[in-house]
Amino acid sequence: MNPLVIEKVFKQYGDKTAVNGLSFEVAQGEIYGLLGANGAGKTTTMRMVLGLILPDGGSIRYRGKPYSTEQLSMLGYLPEERGMYPKIKVSEQILYLAQLRGMSRRDADANLKRWLERFQVPEYYNKKVEELSKGNQQKIQFIAAVIHKPSILIMDEAFSGLDPVNVELLKSTVKELRDDGASIVFSTHRMEHVEELCRNITIMHKSNPVLQGPIRDIKSRFPKEKVVVGAERDIPGLDRIPGVVSAIRTERGYDLRISRKEVAQDILKHAMAQGPVERFELLEPTLNEIFYKTVGESHE
Amino acid sequence: MNSMRTVIAFTMRNKLRSKSFIITTIILGILLVVGANVPYFIDKLTGPGSAAKVGYIASEQGEIIKGLEQQFGQAEKQKVELVPVEASGSDADKTAALGQAIEDGKIKGYLTFTENKEVGFPDVVYHSKKMLDTDTAGALQTGLQFVKTQQAVRDANLTNEQYFKLQAPVKLDTVQISDGAAGGKTEAEQGTAIGLTYAILILLFMSVMITGQLIATEITAEKSSRVMEIIVTSVAPLKQMFGKVIGTFLVGLLQLVVLVGAALINLTLPHNKGALEKFGIDLSSVEPKMIIFAIIMYLLGYFLYAMLFAAIGSLVSRTEDLSQTSMPVTMLSLAGFYIAIYGLTNPESTFITVCSFIPFFSPFILFLRIGLADPAWWEIVLSVGILIASVLAIGWLAAKIYRVGVLMYGKKPSFKEVFKALKAYKV
Repeated sequence: MNPLVIEKVFKQYGDKTAVNGLSFEVAQGEIYGLLGANGAGKTTTMRMVLGLILPDGGSIRYRGKPYSTEQLSMLGYLPEERGMYPKIKVSEQILYLAQLRGMSRRDADANLKRWLERFQVPEYYNKKVEELSKGNQQKIQFIAAVIHKPSILIMDEAFSGLDPVNVELLKSTVKELRDDGASIVFSTHRMEHVEELCRNITIMHKSNPVLQGPIRDIKSRFPKEKVVVGAERDIPGLDRIPGVVSAIRTERGYDLRISRKEVAQDILKHAMAQGPVERFELLEPTLNEIFYKTVGESHE
Repeated sequence: MNSMRTVIAFTMRNKLRSKSFIITTIILGILLVVGANVPYFIDKLTGPGSAAKVGYIASEQGEIIKGLEQQFGQAEKQKVELVPVEASGSDADKTAALGQAIEDGKIKGYLTFTENKEVGFPDVVYHSKKMLDTDTAGALQTGLQFVKTQQAVRDANLTNEQYFKLQAPVKLDTVQISDGAAGGKTEAEQGTAIGLTYAILILLFMSVMITGQLIATEITAEKSSRVMEIIVTSVAPLKQMFGKVIGTFLVGLLQLVVLVGAALINLTLPHNKGALEKFGIDLSSVEPKMIIFAIIMYLLGYFLYAMLFAAIGSLVSRTEDLSQTSMPVTMLSLAGFYIAIYGLTNPESTFITVCSFIPFFSPFILFLRIGLADPAWWEIVLSVGILIASVLAIGWLAAKIYRVGVLMYGKKPSFKEVFKALKAYKV
C-alpha cells in the first residue's frame, strides 16, 4: 500500500469542474510530478490532498486511512504563494508551526537550528521574515514545510523565485528527503526539474489528467523526432532528404526535425558523405516538448 | 486541545510583545490614574483660602451684609468672602473706589445695591471682570435669598417654633422597590448601581470593539500574508479560530485587569474616599449578583461579537477592505451600547425590556436591567438562555464561514457566494 493513494477524485466549483477523475499513487521515497498550465487543477488537487477542501467524488487515502485531522502532523505543505508572518521572528513562527503539527518546542528548535545551518543562514534565527530577501524567505518557507519530518510533502512551485545556486541547494535537499522515505507531490512549470526529480508524472489539462505514467514510458511513447548534427562546414541538401521536416543552421551545426526515426540514418549518411561530422545525436523528446504537444493538441 | 493551547499561547505572546499594545495599555493606565485622582485635586485646588473676595461699600446695606456674612460663615467651605471698601461721596466716586480695589487685587468683584420698593429688598448687581462667574454668583444668590427670607420672617413676627417649621427641609428619600424582597436599593446603592452599570457598559463596549477588530485584523493579515494556508493545513480551523478568539480574550482581560486595578487602587486610596462618596458611589454596597452578571454578560457578549468578527476577518483578503465589511457588526454593537445608555435613565421602559432579549443587545441591556430595574428571574434566565444559544449558533456558523473564508481570495465575496462556497466546500 502506497502512502498516498488518490483515486478518481472529482471536484466541482459551482458548475465548473476543477478536477475530473484524477487518480495517482505516490510510493514511499518517490517524487511525483504534477504538471499543467495555470488553472489546470494542480492547486485544487493539492488542496484536496491537504484536506483543505473535500473532493466531491473519489477518495484520497493516507497510508490506507481516509483524511482526518490526525493526518495533519504527517503532511507538509510548501504553498505556491509564500506565506509567513512578516513581522514575527523566524524562530518564533517556525516553532509555532512545528508545534501546531505536534512537535515539542525543544525538538522543533533543534531541527530549526540544524536546517538553518544546512542552508547556511544560522543568523536568521532571530530575524523577522520581512527583513529577509525573497530567496531567503523561500528557504524559511521550505523549513516550515519540512521541520516536522512529514512523510507526505506537498510542494507547489517549490523553486520559483530562487537563484540557480539556491535551486540546486533546495533540489538536493528534496532528493535527500525523498531518499529518507518521504512521498512528495511536486508541481512546477520548470520541466527540467521534473525530468531530474520525478519518476512518475501526471500532466493535467483543463481539469483532466491527459498523460500519466513513468517519465521513461511517456517519453518512449513519443517518437524521437529531433536530430542534432555538429559540423563546422555547411552541409547543403539536408532539408531535401525525404522525411526531414525542417533543418535549421545553428552556430555549431544543424537542428533537424524528422517525421520518422529511420530518417536519422539517412541524415547521418548524407552528412558523412559531405565531410567529417563532429557530433550526431538522435534526441528523445524533452518533457517540455511533450507537454506542449499534449496540452497544445487537446487545446486546438 | 494541545494545538489550541499552542494557538492561544502564540496569539498571546505576540500581542503582549507588540509595542502598540504595551503603549496603549500604559497610556490608558496613566489616564485612568490621573482620572481617578482628579476629583481629589479639584477639591484641593478649590479648598479654603480660595474664597472669592467680593467687595462692597463699607457704609451701605449693613443689615444685608451682616446676614450674608453670617450665612457664608456657616458653610463648611467658604465660597465668598466679603471685603468692605471705604468710599464716600457720589456714586461715581464709589464705583471708582471699587474699581481701584479690583485693580489692586483686593477683590475679584463687587456688589452694588439699588432700592426696590415693591419687594422691600434692594436689587443687587454683582460686578465681575470674569465672564460667567456662576459659582460666586450662585453663592451670592443663595445667600441673598436667605437673608431676604429671614428679613421677611422677622417682619412677620413668627414664633421660633413657626420659624423652625418653615425652615425645616422636606425629607424625601427614594428607595427602589424590589419584587417581593424587603428593603430594595437605597439611594446610595442606586447610585452605585448606575455608576457600575455605566462603567461595565463602557468596558464591554470597548472590549468588544477593540478586541473584536483586533481579531478580525489578525485573521485578515494571516490570510493576506498567505500564512493561513499553512496554518489551516497544520491545525483544524475550528481550533485555530477559537484559539485566536480565546487568546485575544485573555490578553484583553489582562489589560482590563491592569486598567481596572489601577483605577480601583487609586479610587480606594484614603484621600479619594470623600471624592467617591460625593458621587454617591459606595464600593462596599456593590451586590455580588451584579458582579456575577457583569462577568457572565461580559463573557457572552465578548464571544458573540468576537466570533462574528473572526468570521468577517476570514472573508476579507485585504486589510483595507476590513473596516467596510465589519461595519454592520460595528453598527450592531454601537446600537446595543447606545440603547443601553438611553436605558440608564429609562430602565423600566418596554423598549428596553424587549431589547434585553435580543441577543446582540442583551449583553449590554440585560446587565443594565439587572443593575437598575430588577427584572423577574425568568426574564434573566430567558435572556441569558437566548444569548447562550446565539453564541453557540454564531460560533457554529462563524466556524463554517471561517473554514471556507480563509481559502477565498480575490474580491470580497457576497452573501450568495459565501453560501455557494459553503455548499461547494462541503464543510
